[in-house]
Amino acid sequence: MQVSAVDVPPLVRGAELLGSGGGGPPGPAGSMLLREIAVTGPVDLLGPGELDDATLVCAVGVVGATSVFEEELPSGREFGRALAAVERWSGRRPGALASIEAAGLNAVSALVAAAPLGLPVVDTDLCGRALPRLDQFSIAVAGIGLTPAVLALPSGQVVLVEGGDAVAVERTVRSVLAATSGWAALAVAPLPLGVLRPASAADTIRRCLDLGRRMLALPEAPSPALVAEATGGRVLAAGRVVDVLRHEGYGFGRGSVTVRDRRTSSLLRVEMENEFLLAFEDGAPVASTPDVLAVLDRRTAVPVTCDRIRRGDDVVVLQLPAPEFWCRPENLPAVAPRAFGFEVEPALLVGTP
Amino acid sequence: MTTAPTVATLLRSPAWRDRVRVLAGSVPREAVRGVRLLSPDEHPADAAGQVLVLVGALRDGPASWRVDALLRRAADAGALAVLLGGEADLAPPTRLLCSRLSVCALGTSAPVLALAAEAAVQVAEPEVARARALLRVQTALAEGRVATPEGLVGLLTDVLDAPVSLLDAAGGPLTGPPVDPPRLTEPVLQVETADATTSVARPVLLPGARASQRWLVARVPASSPEAVVLATTLLAAGAAALSGWLATQRLGLERDARSRAGLLADVLRVSGEPSAELRRRSSTAGWSLEGWHVGVRVGTVASVDTAGLRDDVVRTFADAGVDAVVVEHGDGWSGWTTTTREPTAEQVRALADVLRRAHRGLQGLTRCWTGVGRPHPGPAGISRTLEEAADAARLAAGRPEQGHFLHVDQLGMAQTLLAWTRTSTFEPAARGLLAPLGDPDGDLVRTLAVFLDAESSLTETAAVLGIHRNTVAARVARIASLLAVDLTDRDQRLALHLACRAVALG
Repeated sequence: MQVSAVDVPPLVRGAELLGSGGGGPPGPAGSMLLREIAVTGPVDLLGPGELDDATLVCAVGVVGATSVFEEELPSGREFGRALAAVERWSGRRPGALASIEAAGLNAVSALVAAAPLGLPVVDTDLCGRALPRLDQFSIAVAGIGLTPAVLALPSGQVVLVEGGDAVAVERTVRSVLAATSGWAALAVAPLPLGVLRPASAADTIRRCLDLGRRMLALPEAPSPALVAEATGGRVLAAGRVVDVLRHEGYGFGRGSVTVRDRRTSSLLRVEMENEFLLAFEDGAPVASTPDVLAVLDRRTAVPVTCDRIRRGDDVVVLQLPAPEFWCRPENLPAVAPRAFGFEVEPALLVGTP
Repeated sequence: MTTAPTVATLLRSPAWRDRVRVLAGSVPREAVRGVRLLSPDEHPADAAGQVLVLVGALRDGPASWRVDALLRRAADAGALAVLLGGEADLAPPTRLLCSRLSVCALGTSAPVLALAAEAAVQVAEPEVARARALLRVQTALAEGRVATPEGLVGLLTDVLDAPVSLLDAAGGPLTGPPVDPPRLTEPVLQVETADATTSVARPVLLPGARASQRWLVARVPASSPEAVVLATTLLAAGAAALSGWLATQRLGLERDARSRAGLLADVLRVSGEPSAELRRRSSTAGWSLEGWHVGVRVGTVASVDTAGLRDDVVRTFADAGVDAVVVEHGDGWSGWTTTTREPTAEQVRALADVLRRAHRGLQGLTRCWTGVGRPHPGPAGISRTLEEAADAARLAAGRPEQGHFLHVDQLGMAQTLLAWTRTSTFEPAARGLLAPLGDPDGDLVRTLAVFLDAESSLTETAAVLGIHRNTVAARVARIASLLAVDLTDRDQRLALHLACRAVALG
């Protein structure tokens, strides 16, 4: 399919939902995509099976403090510089791009990157949802590795990381970002599609588009049940946020949101670390990563992010099924609650081992 | 009475006061049933009524989800409260959760193990007090300081600090203040509360016996559940001791009964002069073979415990002013009084009146019928007067109009003659005569008896039996044919009439 201007609003809304409260705001990237489409025309979005296995695919996206991304706007040339560095280092030019994380901001960024280069985007990505760390990328979990990884900073610098395991790459990237601009365009390990396909999550961008279309079709102040039906999820709670705790100094963006369900009066405590990770109903775990936990404004059904949620918000908390890639027993531990420091078993809608 | 502590009691106790504070949730009113240590990741299975004491700090501090998860696990296990190390305020959602789960979160900066130990001692206190009380009762029993039911009731009253009563099998008071008897037909522990008082009634059972021999009843304030538990425990110990004493008593009773029954059998066999050995045994038993004897026979139903009730029979006779030998004999008791000289008619009548009074007393004990014989002299006189008494008693069984009491003198010649039809020669012959009519209790025997009583009137017989005259006629014809007799022949009619009486009395 081709992504044209009419697809951008649903893509943005769906990306917000799968962002699970994090993943960066896709809105500004959506505006950039509209501008690119106006210049270059629609962008090709191909299913993972629509290109042959030999096609070299490079996953791209934006990493770092996405709030800064809204302040220090990209020049638009960051992706080009990053891909050029990848090409010079590996000696091969990618035939298509993919997203590092097809949720939140990066569900849109790969399309923004691909448009000026005239490359198609393959709809297979390294997260299938929003995840906070590079070492949780699917290719790292599948044992392929992330290098060479290239950071193109808005200041014009390019940093290439080669060698080291995924945890080392994550640490290197974070320290570079902390010391420089706060965000950067990232391009990682170009791989033949035949290698990438089984080691990534399929069709997430199209899931964003599909979810976004359904959500935009919802009436004003939809009932929680209607929202659940539209998104294929489960309502965990619907009511007011009675408390928001933000812990300093442990992980980033750690905290919890407590919602008192209007109907049952039960207390749903949602633990967050950039994304909403784990939900406890009256102290007992009821939903967890890798399922997507999303908090929606009750009136507008617009997803509320972790950093924006406030006490008194009237919300619906949803649990959406995890991408199939993370439900495989060999992959689950990398994104299960324990990977985030919660000693509880995964509580998933489907595919719980 | 030491009461089980509540969380509030613990918070006021010297060990906890000023050291433990309530972090969230309301303080539960229930009694604390236990204090248990809990590790941070433990899933307690059953902590109903317990206070859980967290050993080791929770990671990530008091605002962590771990506090919520711990409280939920504690609440699921039924815990009343959780004592956490540290006094920092809990996060608002955790405080809300405590209210929602009805679990109380406590915090302290003091060493939790010391607090847990203090609380455990307090929680165990009622049980320790109960154990001490039980030990006091058991020691007194074991050392023999208390060896009578009266002593036992006194001890229980003292230890329990509440009135205790011992009741007999019929619910009558033996020792202690009178109380409403428990449900006598249910020999199980009975706990009933009325008017702020709880009655705890414990049956005293002999091994193998289904009915309770005695009841121990304690009355304690209903407001103190501990007192009820203590009473239940102590009465159990008391009932066990009583049961032992009763069994010993019973053993002696049975032994005496057997020896008395053997002696009586020998005495009844005497026709001439008794042997020296029999005289010696009689004298040892306090029985006088010489002199004039007036026999008394008290018959009762087969299910009555004649050995067990003998003492009551002796007491009843004594209460009425009769000094009599009483022996368990068949389904009832045989006895006699002895005078050195032949009693006058006046004395015999007076004795009969006294015995009638004694009989009325006996009827309060059990269903019974009593016959009294004539005075007869010497060792063989015992057997003769008892035979007469037995005849009279047999007739008294069917005489409610005379209060089931008959003196052989009251019997007319006919009655006495009739009584003789109960001899071992006549009765089988009577049964043989009526055998062709089938079951002695059947319609034909009954119809024949009534027909003969009714002077051979079919109408009268039909009225008595409540059946149609024609039915009676048909039955009479059938009887005549079955027995091959002529019912108009007066000799045959007399023989059959006597046979009917003998069988009916049997």
